[in-house]
Amino acid sequence: MTTYAQRPTIAAGAGKVAPTSKGRLLVKWLTSTDHKTIGYLYLITSFIWFLIAGLLALVLRSELARPGMQFLSNEQYNQIFTMHGTIMLLMFATPLFVGFANVIMPLQIGAADVAFPRLNMLSYWLYLFGGTMAFIGFLTPGGAASFGWTAYAPLSNAQYSPGIGGDLWLVGLAIGGLGTILGGVNFVTTILTMRAPGMTMFRMSIFSWNVLLTSILVLIAFPPLAAAFLALESDRVFGSHIFDPANGGAMLWQHLFWFFGHPEVYILALPFFGIATEILPVFSRKPIFGYKGLIAATIAIAALSVSVWAHHMYASGQVLLPFFSFMTFLIGVPTGVKFFNWIGTMWRGAVTFETPMLFVLGFLITFLFGGLTGIILASPPLDFAVSASYFVVAHFHYVLFGTVVFAMFAGFYFWWPKMTGKMLNETLGKIHFWTLFFGFHLTFLIQHWLGIKGFPRRYADYLATDGFTTMNMISTVGSFLLALSMIPFFINIWITRHTEKVTVDDPWGYGASLEWATSCPPPRHNFTSIPRIRSERPAFDLHYPHMAQKADH
Amino acid sequence: MKTGWVLFVGLAVFYVIVAVIYWQVGGEAVGITAIGLSAGLAIIVGFYLWFTDRRLGNVLPEDNQQGEIADSAGEIGFFSPHSWWPLPVALSICAVGTGLIIGWWLVLIAVGALIISVLGLVLEYERPSTTSH
Repeated sequence: MTTYAQRPTIAAGAGKVAPTSKGRLLVKWLTSTDHKTIGYLYLITSFIWFLIAGLLALVLRSELARPGMQFLSNEQYNQIFTMHGTIMLLMFATPLFVGFANVIMPLQIGAADVAFPRLNMLSYWLYLFGGTMAFIGFLTPGGAASFGWTAYAPLSNAQYSPGIGGDLWLVGLAIGGLGTILGGVNFVTTILTMRAPGMTMFRMSIFSWNVLLTSILVLIAFPPLAAAFLALESDRVFGSHIFDPANGGAMLWQHLFWFFGHPEVYILALPFFGIATEILPVFSRKPIFGYKGLIAATIAIAALSVSVWAHHMYASGQVLLPFFSFMTFLIGVPTGVKFFNWIGTMWRGAVTFETPMLFVLGFLITFLFGGLTGIILASPPLDFAVSASYFVVAHFHYVLFGTVVFAMFAGFYFWWPKMTGKMLNETLGKIHFWTLFFGFHLTFLIQHWLGIKGFPRRYADYLATDGFTTMNMISTVGSFLLALSMIPFFINIWITRHTEKVTVDDPWGYGASLEWATSCPPPRHNFTSIPRIRSERPAFDLHYPHMAQKADH
Repeated sequence: MKTGWVLFVGLAVFYVIVAVIYWQVGGEAVGITAIGLSAGLAIIVGFYLWFTDRRLGNVLPEDNQQGEIADSAGEIGFFSPHSWWPLPVALSICAVGTGLIIGWWLVLIAVGALIISVLGLVLEYERPSTTSH
């Protein structure tokens, strides 16, 4: 059957009857080319990886709770922290961006689907299978990869890290990276060519802008990563000498890896900044403060992010410290501009504290801490003192957990009615937020001091006389509280699954972008009618026409 | 379309400037190459968008400030309703990757499967559609 999507002004007739039996439902999901279904697949899969990597983190924290080895060997500890980092960054956070972008972005620009629906599904399968390949290293005799998620050469070569686990890790992640690259191509094409009439670039929602710039960063950063992984695999299997330390391979690896690694931080941050920027105006009852300033800041971050990679390599002693330090301070400026705009959006607004807003405020506070320690680490003399200590661990958990996890839950609570047609429970949502917030800060705030006192990262053990015991114990207790905070979320999903369906297009009442101008959940090709687009808030203009007229005068 | 090509060309120009500065202050070869290639990527997209914009010669409905939804009424293109093909393509790619690790025999089989499944994906809608399925 070949279908042509109709222009959505023509009211679609009664849609096809949805498949009901379990087998038909499975086939529908396995063969789907609907951007929303593929987006849900991405969100569900990446959330499962989040839970798996979270359990690995609990194992690590349990091992570190007391001095001496409790129940792991050193090698097992290495495997677990390697896979924790790998899963969290490449199999949870990156695909989570793809998931949110898939579900929300075409709705926000008024498109019927993404530009290449089948390529979209191919990206998902590559991500799922590639990630699984990297993970099943745990089932092989030698265990999973154990060289850290950074896989520094020569530690990661065949002599120092023998075993099939490392090979599966490299090939699996290269395949997953291919899926991410194809996703980036899809999003750039969709945003450039499939916007609704009147939806000029400077009327797109901030989230869609951030998806565009994140996708450009994906196209810049992931090919060097996939190339480096496959070249390292060629060293391991075919005996090539690309990353041989004898001809400078150790530095070559670090440069290639971090040329991916730093834009990757912004790939993880920008879309979640976008989610926060969507939520703040809705619960402040105000338009975004400084719409074009936010876009300019995002473009500046995307442009500068290719020139800061070697601040991860200060301690190597072989990089241009003044250049990278200056560039790193410079990239802090647009990030500060964003904070200014977020606060300006709330300033003198009628702020209410529904669960999505609470999570956004949690994001603002947590990410601010991470940003401040980032400024400290950008200064080489300060970095030398704490490099590869728990101070760095605390810093990047504040940055990444602050943006990705807090903004993820904000997005889940905010768009849950749009995705499922059901509202989540507010009370449970608030319990979820406060346990997550306290659990997170209890776990990671103390690690700043742990690092300053000298506890190095990636160590499985310490001595009772080192004086790290109390701080490690506090961190471990916090990590279990953090894990328990998932329980209210699951209860919430469970008890709201049969509640009354949302009947209005915009259950929050002040939605601005176009996804709030279609039903909850949206129909197969997204819209039965699209309102006229005359500003960056088309849904708000539709629901409050008198406000739009006032703004014209 | 104009905003699109200005964005990409602007990024390309910026990357070239950064590459030159990095080279002049004594940067190493990997970084200069990587930033230079980033500029190349941006200029390919930017040039294509500029070229297409010039060839179209008029403002597209989505770039028109006064655009009405009806301006692009009609068929917007072909959307695959559902497809089995992405699954075998991805499985074949994983089999090729696994073959690199465990043995060439698997690579040979998997490349065959990959060719067949890629052909299936690409040609899925190329046959004359006499029957709907």
